[in-house]
Amino acid sequence: MEEEREVYVNDEAEVVKAEDKLALQFMDSFHTYLTLSHSLSSTLRQGWMDLASARHSMGTSRVNSSLLDLKLHPAATTLKITENDGTQPRFMLQKWVSSEHESTQLEDKNEQPQDSNSMTSSDTDEVQKERFKSLSVFGVLISPKLRATQLSFEKALETLIELANMRSSLLNSFHQLQQEVEDTKE
Amino acid sequence: MYGFEALTFNIHGGYLEAIVRGHRAGLLTTSDYNNLCQCETLDDIKMHLSATEYGPYLQNEPSPLHTTTIVEKCTLKLVDDYKHMLCQATEPLSTFLEYITYGHMIDNVVLIVTGTLHERDVQELLEKCHPLGMFDSIATLAVAQNMRELYRLVLVDTPLAPYFSECITSEDLDDMNIEIMRNTLYKAYLEDFYRFCQKLGGATAEIMSDLLAFEADRRAVNITINSIGTELTRDDRRKLYSNFGLFYPYGHEELAVCEDIDQVRAVMEKYPPYQSIFAKLSYGESQMLDKAFYEEEVKRHCLAFEQQFHYAVFFAYMRLREQEIRNLMWISECVAQNQKSRVHDSVVFIF
Repeated sequence: MEEEREVYVNDEAEVVKAEDKLALQFMDSFHTYLTLSHSLSSTLRQGWMDLASARHSMGTSRVNSSLLDLKLHPAATTLKITENDGTQPRFMLQKWVSSEHESTQLEDKNEQPQDSNSMTSSDTDEVQKERFKSLSVFGVLISPKLRATQLSFEKALETLIELANMRSSLLNSFHQLQQEVEDTKE
Repeated sequence: MYGFEALTFNIHGGYLEAIVRGHRAGLLTTSDYNNLCQCETLDDIKMHLSATEYGPYLQNEPSPLHTTTIVEKCTLKLVDDYKHMLCQATEPLSTFLEYITYGHMIDNVVLIVTGTLHERDVQELLEKCHPLGMFDSIATLAVAQNMRELYRLVLVDTPLAPYFSECITSEDLDDMNIEIMRNTLYKAYLEDFYRFCQKLGGATAEIMSDLLAFEADRRAVNITINSIGTELTRDDRRKLYSNFGLFYPYGHEELAVCEDIDQVRAVMEKYPPYQSIFAKLSYGESQMLDKAFYEEEVKRHCLAFEQQFHYAVFFAYMRLREQEIRNLMWISECVAQNQKSRVHDSVVFIF
């Protein structure tokens, strides 16, 4: 009888520990979510200010929405969503890779891996080229302020994806905690 | 002969010089800017501007206002002043006034050509054009496929025709060619304007030479900084610099090979008039360079009004008014984005 009670107390202690762990995980995720949200807000403010600064420097006729390219062209950045066991979606950003280059990259994976340093520098050159290409709608000789704007919004996009992943993790923790509490009540 | 303009200038130019000096007196003062910088909303800005010469242009605009609306309406004031002066002017002042607008014409041509390349609607592009740079056949630019057609179909009958001799090729228009075309046209325009002012002689030639040389030098620095890290070769960069100015020819040779902002700084610091510009900036910084150039430009344009009986006051007034509109644009953006702490980053006081 005493042994059964001891086992029951131990089980209860483990359940409480598991609940505490989930609750802590949820609170940590929430804290990170709020921090990311604040960071996104400040990055976007910086981006809009940089854009206003670029328009002030280059003139409103050189930086305006009527210069954006309406021709069909592959997206420079894509979002991939995967689902782990159908419960927690995971968001992944593939930056500065147009669909033309994506097929080339898939072919390259079958070849021998190159030296990591040279791959990094060639990747950086490719990324820089894609960045210039996307800004070339406003002209080739553009102000450094417009490049700073691009970097700000690029950072904001990365933060948004982190935010989406954090939210997904948050909701997952919350559901697990809820489940745990309901199981305990039963 | 320089020095005897006082005898004859007022016969044809006296009325318009008085008009432009009156317009100059209507430019916003430091206290106007202080009031504007304290505004909380764009409607507050509209209310403060209602007491200025921009009042009649903004009074009928409905809320909520947008920053582009404020800039458009203030630009209409500049256009009205210019058109009044142009219709009252006789030669050679009328030609001088027309020269002032050719820069805007070049910008409009490039806007239409670039927008068409990006498959934008022509009407949408025409709405974004600067009113001072409009001409009759501007909409026809959309049908040109290369620069030869651009010239043959449209620009041959415009004042920009003589500037096209260096850009006529049969290559298709793309972003790089359009950029080279823009800068080549502007270079040819500045050099032509410079020669025209030299022919006028007297105080006009002396003051305009200084102002246009500064414009050419500033363009050279901006082209250098903006082309760092791009595919523009050193030779192509060198070809875009104007053939006059303080940097011509030795400064241009050095600027053509610059690879970063500090090298540009090293070149400019050899020229005493430009040492003060970079003295305000720390090493590696280029963000405040625009403001430093604008401040120097405003100082030179204000000095143009210290002398009488010359045409440079008209050029100076147009440029000062454009600077004022840039100031209003910046203040409006800072207010609209709730970032009033940044307002003094780019505002250049004129008086």
